[in-house]
Amino acid sequence: MRIHDRYKCYFFILPAFLLLVSILGFPAIAAVLQSFNLVWVSKPSFTLSSYGRLLHDIEFLTSLLNTFIFVSTTVSFHLLIGLGIALLLNTEVKKRHFFRVIAILPWTVPDVIGGLIWKFIFDTLPGFVNAVLIRGGFLVEPIDWLGRPHLAFSCFIFAEIWRGYPFAMLILLAGLQAIPRQQYEAGAIDGASALQNFLYITLPNLKYMFIIAMILDTIWECRLFGMVYSMTGGGPGYASQVLSLLTYKHYFQFFNTSYAASIAVVLAMVMLIISIPYLRITMRREI
Amino acid sequence: MFIRKYSFWTFIYFALIVMGIFNLIPFYWMVTSSFKTESEVFSYPATLFPQNPTLYAYSKIWFQEKFIRYFMNSLIVSVCTAAFSSFIGAFAAYGFSRFRFKGKTLLMTVFLSSQMIPGVLLVGPYFKMLSYVELYNTLFGLILSQTTITLPFSIWMLKGYVDTVPIEIDQAAMVDGASRTRTFLTVVLPGILPGLVATIIFAFLLSWGDLLWALCLISAKAKQTLTLGITQLVGEFRTEWSTIMAATVIATLVPATLYLLLQNFLIKGFTESAVKG
Amino acid sequence: MLLIVIGLILSGQPVKAQEIVISYSDWQLAQDIWGRSLREAIAEFERLNPGIKVESEPVALAQRDVKFTTAIRAGAGPDVFALDVNPVKQYIKEGWVKDVTPFIEKEGGQQWLSDFYPRTLMPVTEDNKTYGIPKNTVAMVIVYNSQLFREAGIKSTPKNWKEFREVCKKLTKATKPGGPVDQWGVAFVLAKACFDLRFSVVLRGFGGDFLTPDWKHSALNTPEAKEAFNYVVDLILKDKVMPPGVAQVDCNEARRLLAFKKTTMKIGTMWSITEVSGFNPDLHGWEVLEMFPIPQKEGVKSKIRSTLYQKSIFMNPNTKHPEAAWKLMKFLTDKKQMEKWFVDNNMLSCRKSVNDTYGPILQSKYASVVKREIENAAFLPLIPQWPECLETFRQNLQAAIAKQKTPDKALMDAHNQIEAILTRK
Repeated sequence: MRIHDRYKCYFFILPAFLLLVSILGFPAIAAVLQSFNLVWVSKPSFTLSSYGRLLHDIEFLTSLLNTFIFVSTTVSFHLLIGLGIALLLNTEVKKRHFFRVIAILPWTVPDVIGGLIWKFIFDTLPGFVNAVLIRGGFLVEPIDWLGRPHLAFSCFIFAEIWRGYPFAMLILLAGLQAIPRQQYEAGAIDGASALQNFLYITLPNLKYMFIIAMILDTIWECRLFGMVYSMTGGGPGYASQVLSLLTYKHYFQFFNTSYAASIAVVLAMVMLIISIPYLRITMRREI
Repeated sequence: MFIRKYSFWTFIYFALIVMGIFNLIPFYWMVTSSFKTESEVFSYPATLFPQNPTLYAYSKIWFQEKFIRYFMNSLIVSVCTAAFSSFIGAFAAYGFSRFRFKGKTLLMTVFLSSQMIPGVLLVGPYFKMLSYVELYNTLFGLILSQTTITLPFSIWMLKGYVDTVPIEIDQAAMVDGASRTRTFLTVVLPGILPGLVATIIFAFLLSWGDLLWALCLISAKAKQTLTLGITQLVGEFRTEWSTIMAATVIATLVPATLYLLLQNFLIKGFTESAVKG
Repeated sequence: MLLIVIGLILSGQPVKAQEIVISYSDWQLAQDIWGRSLREAIAEFERLNPGIKVESEPVALAQRDVKFTTAIRAGAGPDVFALDVNPVKQYIKEGWVKDVTPFIEKEGGQQWLSDFYPRTLMPVTEDNKTYGIPKNTVAMVIVYNSQLFREAGIKSTPKNWKEFREVCKKLTKATKPGGPVDQWGVAFVLAKACFDLRFSVVLRGFGGDFLTPDWKHSALNTPEAKEAFNYVVDLILKDKVMPPGVAQVDCNEARRLLAFKKTTMKIGTMWSITEVSGFNPDLHGWEVLEMFPIPQKEGVKSKIRSTLYQKSIFMNPNTKHPEAAWKLMKFLTDKKQMEKWFVDNNMLSCRKSVNDTYGPILQSKYASVVKREIENAAFLPLIPQWPECLETFRQNLQAAIAKQKTPDKALMDAHNQIEAILTRK
């Protein structure tokens, strides 16, 4: 029975494994090779010059910093707001299903289109924000939200926080729903307060899903460029440029394929290094 | 959790309403813009409510832009992606959760790291592979690509949820004579229904909102997806704002409805019989 | 399961055995008027060539290169497609367009090409090989609202940039007495989309340019470039003759501002009339909009002050039906189609025979201004690195407008960065 069992695991994993290796394996390796200028270029020759150039490129370094700021801020808010809302939705308020649907609405907007909409909202002349402020009498001159570097970046972060927090909320809500009720009942018998319930029952149970949500959201925010592409295009200047958008620009607009590949590889490395300690924590939870 | 304190429930309602407003403000803008005429959409300062509401944008979508076709395409692709991704992912998640084998951590990390490379670089080689097997410009090729993108995320999410089901439950079922597969399907899967719903929605939305892959892998206009169709309204000479808004409003209704359905039928239906009580 | 089956059924492609099917992809197919015109032309082509069927594949302008390059790189892609000037040299360099010199030889070689303005052949030719057929060309001019000019008492259109500035200042005002300023002199395009064509005319109008004539070095360190750069920044920040938020204005926005009388001028060309009028019928654009040539600084000797736009048709090197593709290319750019194109879309052709003899063109007040300006216009640098150089410049300009850098520093940075890009390859 045991030997039979051991091979059974491959049965479960096989379809996923086949799909990923056959379909993503080749492109992923090709991407790395591109950064070394080995494939898909007019004159292949192994060179690390793309990586060397990265160090001198101010735009790359600024984008790197921006990406750090953007991802850390966005993911933190996602998790915080997501946890808060998940806790609210896990209670037995009436019409919670209705509220749950409202809760995921921001996430249903595709990122490119979300960017267009937020661009319109923050638009200087016909935009929503300025309209409310001017008609409400708070402003006389419209504010150029997307024209000032720090303001544009902040608006972009805000828009992405709005759009992405349901992801974290959904994961955490499902995690909350998985906590066995007996634990809370035991707590009630012991006379625990709501705060103690939260600290000693909810949080420890949620720990792994929280970490998973954090890792997945980080990867997600690093990859996406639809929102910033539509909203600010990386501007003004490159105040709101992030690495994913830079990769896109170099690949499809400037046709610097190996440079784009090297940016992508650096981004992937950064993501890997940051997430590995957390990955190990989740894997450590053995049944 | 019968807390009778009135203030507690009021607070929760208040917080949820604040959340609702926060979420819905852009939707308010979208909906009102979709009913405005093209000239009103650009007035300065903007009008907060349509002065001369018109259904022009919606009729344009219905009659002119073949959006129904795009809508159906998106529906097919996203539903299939969500189904495949969750199903295969659940199987793999069970395997990773319940069994120990060499290289488990490494394999899971490799799966996840494949997602760390931006799609921009993956599209080209993937396209090449697709054209070898003549799946270029087919919905199936698109489904395949989006399933693979969502798969590592699905596996990681579902594994987390499967881990919350105690292994004793598996063992109890197997002692009763159930095979691994049967145990998985009848005992574990129902136990992670909320997590499964979350994963299905996630995979669905990813496919629904995808632009890059749909753009590159599909060339025939008749096979385009809804998101792609909406972005094409930003043309060289015209950005049809009210039409974009109208189409987006319609586009967001689908995942919302799906979520509602999944909640009502999957979770509500099974929660009574869930093992955890 | 049922869904999967449905999906598979819907994803198959029917193929007729005897017919040759070629695909044509163009961003103008996605537009209302232009798309209709193209579709009519294609229907006519199919009528004249019974064995060939053409599938039109519209693509959004911003997505065009992503879609084309991914497909062509992988050995697929549309058989015939259209490009504007910007990425053509890159496409040629990477081998993404087919060399059509053999086809041209069969048509009569140089004789056949002589009908095209020699300048329009520059973008599509490399190393004496021709890679595409020029279709439409126009030069940029200033489009203005003559009614608003008259109402403000402006008698003549600006001939130099000093007068231009004066006119802008005069026209920037509040249309409702006591209200906020809601009309501005001009709006330049500063967002990425369509930036290249518009901004360059200011640079050239001052006698400067982005790159040296041999396109090997940046020319941004010349006094003329400096003056032009500072001029634009001052127009925005000191004179405030452009609407707030101008840094994000793209070509659509600029047209809309003109259409709704928020601005009185824009840098545009033939299509501006059609499009701006289309935005707002109440403007009566065809009566009210006029054009004047790009202002030039006094004393500037250079003849070039404007920029050329060109759309050309190319063939995919992966095509399985080169003969049929060539027929389509030839058809879309021949004399009759070019005449129809002018009538439908108000666009000038690259063919001398059409521009100089076709009745409606000779009678159009717009065509005469633009045609004359073609003599004073040049292309932007036709090198593969140009998109990157342009974006670098634009980012620095935006930084100057956002006051992140002084204009002089921004220009210097742009100069140095562009030098680095050019000396890299």
